[in-house]
Amino acid sequence: MTAAESGTREKIYEVDELTRVEGEGSLVLHVRKGKVLEARLRIFEAPRYFEQIVVERTPDEVIDIVARICGICPVAYQMSAVHAFEDLFGVKVDPEVRALRRLLYCGEWIESHALHIYLLHLPDFLGYDSAIALAHDDRPAVERGLRMKKIGNRILEILGGRPIHPVSVRVGGFSRAPRRADLEPLRAPLAAALEDAKETVKLVAGLTAPEFEREPRMVALHHPKEYPYNHGHIQSTDGVDLRPSDWDRAFREVQVEGSMALHARTKDGATYLLGPASRITLDAEQLHPIARELLAETGMADAIRTNIYWSVLARAIELTHAIAEAIDIVDGYRPPIESRVAWTPKSGVAAWSTEAPRGLLFHRYEIDGRGRVSAAQIVPPTSQNQGAIEDDLRRFAPRIIDLPDDEATLRLEQLIRSYDPCISCATHFLDVRILRD
Amino acid sequence: MMTIEVTRPERTTTAGRWYLERAGLDALVAALREDGRTVIGPTVADGAVVLAEIHSSAEMPHAVGDVQGPGRYRLTKRDDARVFGYVVGPTSWKRWVFPPDVELSTGRRTGHRVEFAPTASHPTKLAFVGVRACELAAFGVQDRVLDAGPFRDADYAARRESAFVVAVQCTTAELTCFCTSMGTGPEVEHGFDIALTELDEGFLLDVGSPAGQELVDGKLASALRPATPVEVYTAAADVAATRARIGDPLPTAGLHDRLLAQLDNPRWAQVAERCITCGNCTLACPTCFCTSVIQKTDMEGIAATNERAWDSCFSPGFARVAGGSFRSRPRDRYRQWLTHKFGTWWDQFGTTGCVGCGRCITWCPVGIDVREELMAIAPPVALSPEPIRVEPVAASFNDFVVAQVVATRQETADTVTLTLAGADPAFSKGNLGQFAMVAIPGFPPLPISISRFTVDGIELTIRGAGPATKAMTALKVGDQLGLRGPLGNNWPIERAVGRDLVIVSGGIGLAPLRPVIHALAADRRRFGDVRLYYGARTPADILYREEMERWASRGGIEVHLTVDRAGPEWEGRVGVVTQLFDQATWEGANAIAFVCGPERMMQATANTLAGRGVTPTRIFVTLERHMECGIGLCGHCQMGKYFVCRDGPVFSLLQLGDTFGREGI
Amino acid sequence: MAAMAHPTEHGHGGHAHSNEHGHAARGGTPRPRVAVVKFASCDGCQLTILDLEDLLLELSEHFEIVDFPEASSARSNGPYDVLFVEGSVSTPDHLRRIGELRKQARVLVTIGACATSGGIQALRNWADHDAYRAAVYPTPEFVESLARATPIAEHVPVDFELRGCPISPDQLVELLTALVTGRRPQLRDEAVCMECKRRGVVCVMSAQGIACLGQVTQTGCGAICPRMGRGCYGCFGPREQANAAGLARYLQASGERSAEEVGQLFAGFTAYSEPFRSTITDLGGTRGARRTGGAGHVAGGAYPPPGGAATGRASYLPGRPRMEGIDDDGR
Ligand SMILES: Cc1cc2nc3c(=O)[nH]c(=O)nc-3n(C[C@H](O)[C@H](O)[C@H](O)COP(=O)(O)OP(=O)(O)OC[C@H]3O[C@@H](n4cnc5c(N)ncnc54)[C@H](O)[C@@H]3O)c2cc1C
Ligand code: SF4
Ligand code: SF4
Ligand code: SF4
Ligand code: SF4
Ligand code: SF4
Ligand code: FES
Repeated sequence: MTAAESGTREKIYEVDELTRVEGEGSLVLHVRKGKVLEARLRIFEAPRYFEQIVVERTPDEVIDIVARICGICPVAYQMSAVHAFEDLFGVKVDPEVRALRRLLYCGEWIESHALHIYLLHLPDFLGYDSAIALAHDDRPAVERGLRMKKIGNRILEILGGRPIHPVSVRVGGFSRAPRRADLEPLRAPLAAALEDAKETVKLVAGLTAPEFEREPRMVALHHPKEYPYNHGHIQSTDGVDLRPSDWDRAFREVQVEGSMALHARTKDGATYLLGPASRITLDAEQLHPIARELLAETGMADAIRTNIYWSVLARAIELTHAIAEAIDIVDGYRPPIESRVAWTPKSGVAAWSTEAPRGLLFHRYEIDGRGRVSAAQIVPPTSQNQGAIEDDLRRFAPRIIDLPDDEATLRLEQLIRSYDPCISCATHFLDVRILRD
Repeated sequence: MMTIEVTRPERTTTAGRWYLERAGLDALVAALREDGRTVIGPTVADGAVVLAEIHSSAEMPHAVGDVQGPGRYRLTKRDDARVFGYVVGPTSWKRWVFPPDVELSTGRRTGHRVEFAPTASHPTKLAFVGVRACELAAFGVQDRVLDAGPFRDADYAARRESAFVVAVQCTTAELTCFCTSMGTGPEVEHGFDIALTELDEGFLLDVGSPAGQELVDGKLASALRPATPVEVYTAAADVAATRARIGDPLPTAGLHDRLLAQLDNPRWAQVAERCITCGNCTLACPTCFCTSVIQKTDMEGIAATNERAWDSCFSPGFARVAGGSFRSRPRDRYRQWLTHKFGTWWDQFGTTGCVGCGRCITWCPVGIDVREELMAIAPPVALSPEPIRVEPVAASFNDFVVAQVVATRQETADTVTLTLAGADPAFSKGNLGQFAMVAIPGFPPLPISISRFTVDGIELTIRGAGPATKAMTALKVGDQLGLRGPLGNNWPIERAVGRDLVIVSGGIGLAPLRPVIHALAADRRRFGDVRLYYGARTPADILYREEMERWASRGGIEVHLTVDRAGPEWEGRVGVVTQLFDQATWEGANAIAFVCGPERMMQATANTLAGRGVTPTRIFVTLERHMECGIGLCGHCQMGKYFVCRDGPVFSLLQLGDTFGREGI
Repeated sequence: MAAMAHPTEHGHGGHAHSNEHGHAARGGTPRPRVAVVKFASCDGCQLTILDLEDLLLELSEHFEIVDFPEASSARSNGPYDVLFVEGSVSTPDHLRRIGELRKQARVLVTIGACATSGGIQALRNWADHDAYRAAVYPTPEFVESLARATPIAEHVPVDFELRGCPISPDQLVELLTALVTGRRPQLRDEAVCMECKRRGVVCVMSAQGIACLGQVTQTGCGAICPRMGRGCYGCFGPREQANAAGLARYLQASGERSAEEVGQLFAGFTAYSEPFRSTITDLGGTRGARRTGGAGHVAGGAYPPPGGAATGRASYLPGRPRMEGIDDDGR
């Protein structure tokens, strides 16, 4: 990381390769005379052309393929895709399949949130390079995180064969639904994980976060009866209310000026924020009672809404929620009558949004007469958040301008990590012109 | 080489034979569990009947059947309540007596010291419910391999010893079964504690050991009553029917020598193009015993464990040494499998390695059938369909017996079927596809196929092709003619048992195949799908029209017709007969074909069949040649090395090789 | 596995080196320095390292993780004792970096389908690269990517490879243990089927007519897909002497699948490895050069496919009333 000074009033802060984020990205903040000239989160993942790779493939093949966009949240990709197809084909899955899909998502949230809180984010708050360094001083804390991460992975493994790129999600249901006995081994560790999660909420609520108040526009799915994973309406703090298939009625992808990157904006060009903080803000009522109570105890719902550093707490609350809901689903589970219902393809547009750990993930596929994809659009959460992140970088500038360079860039990097950006996902927002510099 | 002597004592006595209600099965499972045993039995999971631990008979299949073929297994619903109404599934008992993964020993290396400790085997007490005859035989084979030599597998021995065996007689069989050929079933005869034969409402129960007797006298006593003679009879009849159904799909006489003489057969390379060397066949096989040991260590490099896992001669690394693999090519590995299982196993262990359970056939994902490979690589010495010779009458050059026309039927404008009676009884005992030399004084005697066998005579269907045949078609009821026969060999219908049969014929060529269809219809369930493809010149030339409708409607035979030329009244297909099955969806991997018609047509048919995977060993044709004596003396009918009258007229394509269809032979 | 040959053929190379470090670790001298880098990939394979929850902290006692940007802000430019490489070579920059990295690494291990085979992104290798770029990016001329996404071994020698999309945690532990204790890693070179059978899985190909690549695929995953009731899609890549052509012929012979559909089966995460690669090419490439379906062709992969009838387990389960439908719109 460098902070180049040219004259006394001009500074360029750069982090060449962001660490403890998923994927490869860099950031640049260019300030002159207190004025921010450029604030950019750059992504230099190599392009992988997913939207083209899925062309001509069948819906079930697409579910396998899009998972590989991101190894951290493959389930999210599978969920948005499968629900998009089922919505178009008019597939009604067994209610137990619906519950299993929530459980699958719980697994991914638990895994992803535990990973982010303990392995990627906590070292920032406590001043370490990594969780391994942190473990030297506080091994129990890191072990707690790993324990929870493990149970999340275990859920994914039982339902999908493996934690990363599980294999069982199919249009119409699952290629195989677990027997009750298969879920049995989850009970005890889930119960223990719930205690760990509560402990985590306590731990992170007690951290000190930098002051950084602002009020971003927040967007998340909202469902009256449940915390949002696969269903609900797209809602926002300023009144958007749409079916999950209709993302493109309120939002669009725009080419950012001076760059080749595509960012998502609202139709009138505004940036917005997705993810745990937005969900907690829009869906607190639907949290599992255990998580809702914990949130109330901390009394920090407002802080979560206004200070992105407290997204770590939002994640901890959601971690608790996911574990508590997983316990309920496991308890009430009965194998579906049909793990996979019959379906036939239809031509048309298949679109859906679900809540990835990092926020709303929108997929849109055009299906041809032979039931294969003819065009695809995938809008991952990180690229939707990118505008909001850059807005915040701009706002943040005055706070670091007087700090020593190393510290300033570190602070910037920490800010970025608060968003838990998943850069692997964001590859199609590649900004290569800058990369060449 | 030794053979398994199969003795089948007649057990007609009802003494010591019991009847168990179907509901009583649960008492049996419960009794075994109370005995502290882990009970392993059949249960339905993932589209198959698998073996797994069961806690009550409710977990066992009910009204479930199966259909098996090469590379194919499907469950079916039975319309009765049988618990054992299927045959062996993907799991074998090997899983419990010779588990797929076992820890053998542990080791430690601390400083200069090394220690080794064998891992103690503490097998739980087992009970196996539903062991079939071939599986009992597999235990016998494994006993010889693992427990009879100078070095023994103690873990295997302990597990085997602990297991209480409830055997089940097979009252159903699948196309993949060939226990009859291997001499291992379907009758369960020894090696069990209790044997069950499933009847409509319950089971006939036989005791096979003191432990079985103890159970019958003790915990199970209240669930039993003595069996009635009808129950005993029915049970025996059902098992006998199973034997009949299976037939003898793999003639094994001399197989060991036949096979080992074929190490250079080109077929090894051909099968290796189809074989994926996946190893499924060997792991599914109840007798394959190859394993590999792998070492695992901790990160300190101190503690290590040795684990033994099922392996296979199909794994590329199985025969690897530092310089490479001894069986580097897939063909080498396929050859190892087949020659071991059916050949060298005898030399090593004095027994066959194959018990005919058919698992390797069903569970080969690409449907390779060991029987077919064996028949192609090491065919039975007599290549031709073996005639079951009936002593022909009037077998000298120009001697005839007289028969009388008792009925005539005008089949088509130029073809008549004559029903003959009063001839020698030898004729009605003739074989499917044989012919007679038929004579009217003044005309040359002609070969005419027997188109039907009746109780006291035969039928001939004759097309008036020339002067002699025209004279015959003109015969009236009460007229007489001269016969010699029955002559020639026959269609190898026993080879079609358990297979799909494709019959292709054109014109008068249907006559020699008609008795085949009669025989099939009489015992239809022994055969797979039967399809008849028949081509005639015009709709008016179609033979046996009414009869054909019965074949289709009641005989369970698919009939496909085509004509060369059609009038407006014809709604069926027009074109040559091979076009009829161009669009068909069946695969030939399990089919056998009988073909008779003009030689051109037979050639075209043979090519099409080969394209569908029917190998030359399974395509049979009947040849028409100029014949005068019909007994191999006149020399007219010679074709290459064969006298068609004596060695034929039915030949397999393999026999004919490239003489078939070649001009001028 | 040509890659595997390196440390075994030059026996003392891999062994002596690892010994030195493995035993040295216990003797108090430095632990082997490990780094993780990525090229074009999804991060799933390196995440597998973090997914070794139970072992992660123990591992850090045996290895010094000096560069692993996803997990740590501490960085190092090498040299490394062990370098894990994830991802395929897909940009001019990758091309440059892989050469440099090889020089820094004593043992180079490729992890995952992307690195060992090119990954899913290698499907573009059959297509017109420019058309691909133009279809995804608004200003394609600015996108730097190579016409082909290629495995690492196409550019530099590789010492060990871990297959899979993603890699198997068990195989990863086995490799690490072998490296630290100086023995040969026991990575089997057999078909997925073998593990399928050992685990008592009912073959989905024989019992349900589902196409399964397990027969031609390198073992290592533990037969995940068949255990989950579906066919293997080959994410561990072709095994030694994989008879892909034979399997492709069989799958077409039944008439239920067209040549194109069979080709697509191989056109997955390890498509660019031979013999999958030539099988795909022989059957018309990745983008349906032969678009007409054969007999029984199934549009868009409907379920169940006609003819391939799955014998539903459901029919053997006692009936149970359906639950009330849930309003999935949240309205
Ligand atoms: C094994 C076998 C089974 C047969 N089964 C039947 C049957 O069931 N029904 C039926 O209608 N026909 C059958 N034939 C064919 C039948 O034998 C000839 O159609 C018949 O011989 C023709 O004689 P032809 O004198 O009427 O006619 P022509 O064509 O006039 O014969 C001229 C002469 O050629 C000779 N000749 C021509 N073909 C043959 C022949 N195949 N065998 C002997 N001599 C021949 C004879 O000397 C004959 O007199 C069979 C042939 C064979 C070899
Ligand atoms: S070789 Fe095949 S038929 Fe013979 S015992 Fe083994 S699996 Fe059964
Ligand atoms: S014969 Fe069939 S099951 Fe056996 S190795 Fe070959 S392909 Fe696999
Ligand atoms: S091999 Fe698969 S899991 Fe690994 S990085 Fe590539 S896409 Fe991700
Ligand atoms: S399911 Fe696939 S991997 Fe398993 S045995 Fe069958 S073909 Fe092999
Ligand atoms: S079964 Fe095949 S596709 Fe599935 S995880 Fe294993 S190797 Fe990958
Ligand atoms: S007819 Fe006389 S030898 Fe054949």
